[in-house]
Amino acid sequence: MKEGQVFILGLIVFTGLCDTFRELFLKSGVNSLDEVSPDNIKQVTLFIFKLIRTPRVWISLFFGFLSLFIWLFILSKVDLNFAFSLDSMHYIFIAFAAQFLLKEKVRRMRWVGTLLIVLGITLVTLS
Amino acid sequence: MLKRKVTLKIFLFLVLADVLETFHQFCFKKSALFKKDPPLTGAYDLLVFFEVVFSSPFFWIGLLALIMMFILWSTILSKIDLSVAVPIASFSYILVALVSILFLHETITLLRWVGIFLILTGVIVVSVSSCERERP
Repeated sequence: MKEGQVFILGLIVFTGLCDTFRELFLKSGVNSLDEVSPDNIKQVTLFIFKLIRTPRVWISLFFGFLSLFIWLFILSKVDLNFAFSLDSMHYIFIAFAAQFLLKEKVRRMRWVGTLLIVLGITLVTLS
Repeated sequence: MLKRKVTLKIFLFLVLADVLETFHQFCFKKSALFKKDPPLTGAYDLLVFFEVVFSSPFFWIGLLALIMMFILWSTILSKIDLSVAVPIASFSYILVALVSILFLHETITLLRWVGIFLILTGVIVVSVSSCERERP
């Protein structure tokens, strides 16, 4: 492996971690507010105004943009399929993080589903 | 404790968020793939890269789709677990495959069909697992 490839590989793992942090902080911010229906425009507007005043959401946005720009950079350097198949591992990061940090109950069945998806994405993107 | 079950309505909103996600990815890719394989030498390259990206209209259309997706995604997260929403969002891979079959007339290899089937099964299993939590 060339030095550039190791660098790109590291960047892909790094964006996976950034995506995980983005979702974690967003979910944690959303959890501090009341539940809303996505089809109730009035509720959603109020919800978004409350949400953007939550500091956790800004941390989430920071990680989101960081991952986005690095991702764009990766896409201009390597084969798309390769990048996407490696990106599927962030589903596993999310499942762990949701279980241990957000205290969601990720039982065996949800793990099986998540792993099927990761395997499926690997097959779809690599073939 | 809030109800966190995935209803058909939530599922359809997730699919809509997926369509927006796919569209914004497409736009961003269009703005980033301006030339194939530029040399990777250092920080200056990164600056040039971002300059090109920001000057592309695709980037700004993609950003608009991204904002809409953020709003939709946050409201969905207020209803269901993160460990359910994220796996179900992988439905976008199936959407992309469908688009390439129907509109781009791409041939799908057997291995790819197996992958699509696995994703679909996984999405169903995860959705069902969110309903199971309701039981005491």
